[in-house]
Amino acid sequence: MGKYLLRRILQMIPVVIGTTLLIYALVFALPGDPVAAMFGDKPINQSVAAQIRSEYNLDKPFIVQYLIFLKNALTLNFGETFSHQPVIDVMGRAFPVTIKLAIMAFIFEAIFGVVFGIISGLKRGKWYDSVILVVSLLLISVPTFVFGFVLQYFVGVKWGLLPVTAGSNPGFFDLLMPASVLGSVSMAYIIRLTRSEVSSNMTEDYVRTARAKGMSSKSVTMRHILRNSMIPVVTYLGTDIGALMGGAMVTERIFNINGIGNTLYQGILRGEGPLVVSIVTVLVLVFVICNLVVDMLYAVLDPRIRYA
Amino acid sequence: MSDMSKSDSENLDTTNEEFFADPDPLPGQERFVAPADETPLQAVDSVDENEPATSMWASAWITLRKNPLFIVSAILIIFILLVAIFPQLFTHNNPTYCNLDYSLEKGSGAHPFGFDQQGCDVYSRVIYGARTSVSVGVLTTILVTLLGGLIGAIAGFFGGWVDAVLSRITDIFFAIPLLLGAIVVLQMFKTSSSIWKVILAMTLFGWVQMARITRGSVLEAKNLEFNTASTALGSTPMRNLFRHVIPNALAPVIVMATTSLGTYIVMEATLSFLGIGLPSSVVSWGGDISSAQSLLRVTPSVLFYPSVALALTVLGFIMMGDAVKDALDPKSRTE
Repeated sequence: MGKYLLRRILQMIPVVIGTTLLIYALVFALPGDPVAAMFGDKPINQSVAAQIRSEYNLDKPFIVQYLIFLKNALTLNFGETFSHQPVIDVMGRAFPVTIKLAIMAFIFEAIFGVVFGIISGLKRGKWYDSVILVVSLLLISVPTFVFGFVLQYFVGVKWGLLPVTAGSNPGFFDLLMPASVLGSVSMAYIIRLTRSEVSSNMTEDYVRTARAKGMSSKSVTMRHILRNSMIPVVTYLGTDIGALMGGAMVTERIFNINGIGNTLYQGILRGEGPLVVSIVTVLVLVFVICNLVVDMLYAVLDPRIRYA
Repeated sequence: MSDMSKSDSENLDTTNEEFFADPDPLPGQERFVAPADETPLQAVDSVDENEPATSMWASAWITLRKNPLFIVSAILIIFILLVAIFPQLFTHNNPTYCNLDYSLEKGSGAHPFGFDQQGCDVYSRVIYGARTSVSVGVLTTILVTLLGGLIGAIAGFFGGWVDAVLSRITDIFFAIPLLLGAIVVLQMFKTSSSIWKVILAMTLFGWVQMARITRGSVLEAKNLEFNTASTALGSTPMRNLFRHVIPNALAPVIVMATTSLGTYIVMEATLSFLGIGLPSSVVSWGGDISSAQSLLRVTPSVLFYPSVALALTVLGFIMMGDAVKDALDPKSRTE
């Protein structure tokens, strides 16, 4: 186990380097001159522009810029935004909000997705199975932003049950609606996944054997059907944490939340290399670590899987 | 307990003896068939041994035809394709002809869905928007399947260092969410007004899933017995790849492609909503939904119609994906 963990952590290094290099290259290749944009309508003062360029290392070749970024990032020095704020401070303000939002969305989709999926899978063909299936298909087909608008209009504006937008320091109730919008599509996928896993595991040989041995229906369901069904669901949930943080871009725009998604989106629009690459680096780290945790969980859920 | 098992095994021995002793068919039967009271499995008797063998694709097609999900989604998809290919059959109004005099006017007669803020006919925009959404979805799916399928198949079939390199590249792209990657790429082609920029941006970050699935199913098909047998009979690796591995690895790829088509249509709409997808000169559902968002409280119908059209299209392709999955993956069937 320890050896396997070490090998996996070593394998993460090229992935993180590759991802940051890819994003850095893409942001670097963005058209337009961010320095020229800083002058706005005023004529560009060449000596000032040159000074700004050297300050942000924009006059150096691409690969040198990237290596400088990488070297600084290792000491948590992510540089400054174009408005002279340390990137680490900007991230420090935005990340807690998005983490709160993503955790709420994650709990929402995990609980409702798994519970409805199990009900549906165990009682295939019943009327509530059909209702659950139709609702999950609708949630997948209707784009998140349409769902967000409709919910915002009815729950927020018309009925006034929850705040329409989240403020600068949102609490639990401010984020309740955005989190359910953010988690809704994944919830629908989890319902479908759990349902098909549960109903296919019900016909497995080991389930029949367990029943033949005289095991009670309840413990067959708990110990054999559900435990085996959870493996793909856990995989999906693990990879979804990264997707939730990325998907927050849309939700945060609808509900006007000042989280990482909004900051990242603004950064991309303005061509702010250091800011974009720093945020993406953190997102990729979160994603890769989640995947590792999922792989470790396999061994707990499925005794057949052993890591040497 | 031990007595029972003993008599059981005795019984078994006698039946075996009888079987070998008397292989002649019963009167009126061509082959030996055990009497019905000994074999409650009537299904065994109903097997027609002279029937020609059905291929996996033929049996999948038979299952598919009987699936109501397939019939509903096929009708929906054919209708949507018809609208996308021949929009002029459904409306005579020009979707780009807008008159501010009609701004937000209610629907009537020739303009059943009313007008949007710019005074454009909502119905004709919904009809003409189908072409954009469907072509973005279909073209992205084709490109993703070709690129991801090729990379996955090469990695899975050749293994070794080729697999190691391709899998690491796949890992790198997999760690970047599709939406995020597409936004960065689209930002590079901000000035272009072609729908190809959206298609290419989604392909560049969308092939990963397909590559992983193809790699997995090629690995599985490569190690099947008939493949080893074919190699033993002297087949070259290339012949094996095209004759045995690819046909057997195709099913999960087709399922993935059908299901993801709907996802790409939603993704295009999301990018247009964020304001960096298709340019406003292209009539698209995503763009129309995006520009109608501020009208939700005043004229919700302007937001409603393109959203419903988009949802129905995506629903059609996702249901088709489910039906194809049921037909091609017998394990997922419960009957």
